Amino acid sequence: MYSGRFLKGVPLTRYSSLIFSLAISGLKLHYKNSFLGFMWTFLQPLLFLGVLYVVFSSLLGSRIPYFPLYLLIGLVLWNSFSRSTSSSMMSFVSRRDLLLKVYFPREIIPISTTITTFIMMLFDLCAFGVFVALFHFVPPWTILYLPILLILLFTLTLGLSFILSVANVYFRDLEHIWGIVLQAGFFLTPVFLSMDIYPPSVRHILVFNPMTLVIDMAHNIVLYNHMPSVGAFGYLAVVSLAILGLGYMIFKKFESKAIEII
Amino acid sequence: MREKETEEEEVKDQHTNISDDTDTLLNEGRYAIRVQSLHKSFRISHEKKSTVYEHLVGLFSKSRGYEKLNVLNGISFDVNKGEMMGIIGKNGQGKTTLLQILSGILKPDSGAVKLSGSTVPFLSLGTGFQPDLSAIDNIVMYGLYLGLTKKEIKERIPQILNYAELERFADTKLKHFSTGMFARLAFSTAVQVDPDILLVDEVLSVGDVSFQEKSFETFLSFKKRGKTIVFVTHSLELVKRLCDRAIFIQDGNIQKIGRPQEVVEEFYNFYDIRKKNV
Repeated sequence: MYSGRFLKGVPLTRYSSLIFSLAISGLKLHYKNSFLGFMWTFLQPLLFLGVLYVVFSSLLGSRIPYFPLYLLIGLVLWNSFSRSTSSSMMSFVSRRDLLLKVYFPREIIPISTTITTFIMMLFDLCAFGVFVALFHFVPPWTILYLPILLILLFTLTLGLSFILSVANVYFRDLEHIWGIVLQAGFFLTPVFLSMDIYPPSVRHILVFNPMTLVIDMAHNIVLYNHMPSVGAFGYLAVVSLAILGLGYMIFKKFESKAIEII
Repeated sequence: MREKETEEEEVKDQHTNISDDTDTLLNEGRYAIRVQSLHKSFRISHEKKSTVYEHLVGLFSKSRGYEKLNVLNGISFDVNKGEMMGIIGKNGQGKTTLLQILSGILKPDSGAVKLSGSTVPFLSLGTGFQPDLSAIDNIVMYGLYLGLTKKEIKERIPQILNYAELERFADTKLKHFSTGMFARLAFSTAVQVDPDILLVDEVLSVGDVSFQEKSFETFLSFKKRGKTIVFVTHSLELVKRLCDRAIFIQDGNIQKIGRPQEVVEEFYNFYDIRKKNV
């Protein structure tokens, strides 16, 4: 039994400022020492998407309409997911000293890491916007659904981040395992392939993967003026929230033991 | 006959419990910290299982692979409000673990800890400092970790830099700081937090002689302002000079609690006797 008080004032505002300061300092550290400084936040995704566009669009002269944009939006979302989960996974073990010497709610660490990578994704989306303009593409009105989709992606990512940050303390080789999972996931989500290349039997299984749904829906609402079905959307929402809930429960159950063996 | 004895003991136990309860009722508000029969043990792995592979292999092998290390064996004590309590003992006797539990960083296996008043742990200086961020950025982050609000920290930045004698280096990245500058910055930020209870782990030996004197003064001023301080140290002289009471921890138990003079004496005696025996 433990009772003590470490706060003055309203907990939520205090911790939200800690969360956001951590998230921002994570961004600053990511672009440390760079000559162009903060410009890199815009330039890096722009150049990155440019390279990928050149490589992939010439390789796969594809039947998919608006293929360059199809590829880029998928990459932005998949990269965000992959970057977010990988860096959250390291967030606990890389802060051993902090966790053993200062008290604050431990969930702040995966939350702020997820926010950092989410902000990086927003910069990536700006770069995507540049490409949209370059192609003289006018997005359909269904793009207004994109923010909702991003919120669901954030929910899903945060849930996984909770689990991975603690699990990595117990299983230090999770890093490598997760790397392989991400690689497999890249090919099982429609990032640069269309779902049509898979036989229907496989496709029915793949749609249970929430990331497949996220990217498929993003294609539909950003490029094809196609509303996602209520069923698919509902499924994604339920799965994301369930993973967040489960992730938080796992995190709360194991966080204090994790700190002892970190 | 034996049964009677145990019965009597139980009755006694109940009595002490009752008197303890009335004690609590009478002295509500007198204690800053109450610690009751605190137990903590760690698992020390022999073969460290830290990968999925090793866990899978471990399922099939029968050796237990770890040992239980009891760090705290039922420690109980109170600290009065405004009191400065020194904690001494050799390395590995559970001092830091005790402080980590008081800070809420580690959870006790059993026992109760009650702190009344806002608390700040200073277990080490400058944890979470990022070498690639500027001094000001680091002050803000460190202040947030220690429980200040962003507004409070921003207001105090000039004061902190002034106290640390580092105004010229406000925008310098921390990696260009010397060890002494680093420590001064951390200490100056830490003392800006104004809690009711301070939990301190050996942080007074920071910087050069003049800064040490300055930090010592600051510490005394906390005491004068009626803050409750729990102070872990190896400097027995400081305990005698500063503390109102002291605890000597040995093997996770309280060997002696009382006036600093007596506790320090007990500490000397205890280890002298041991030396003779060896």
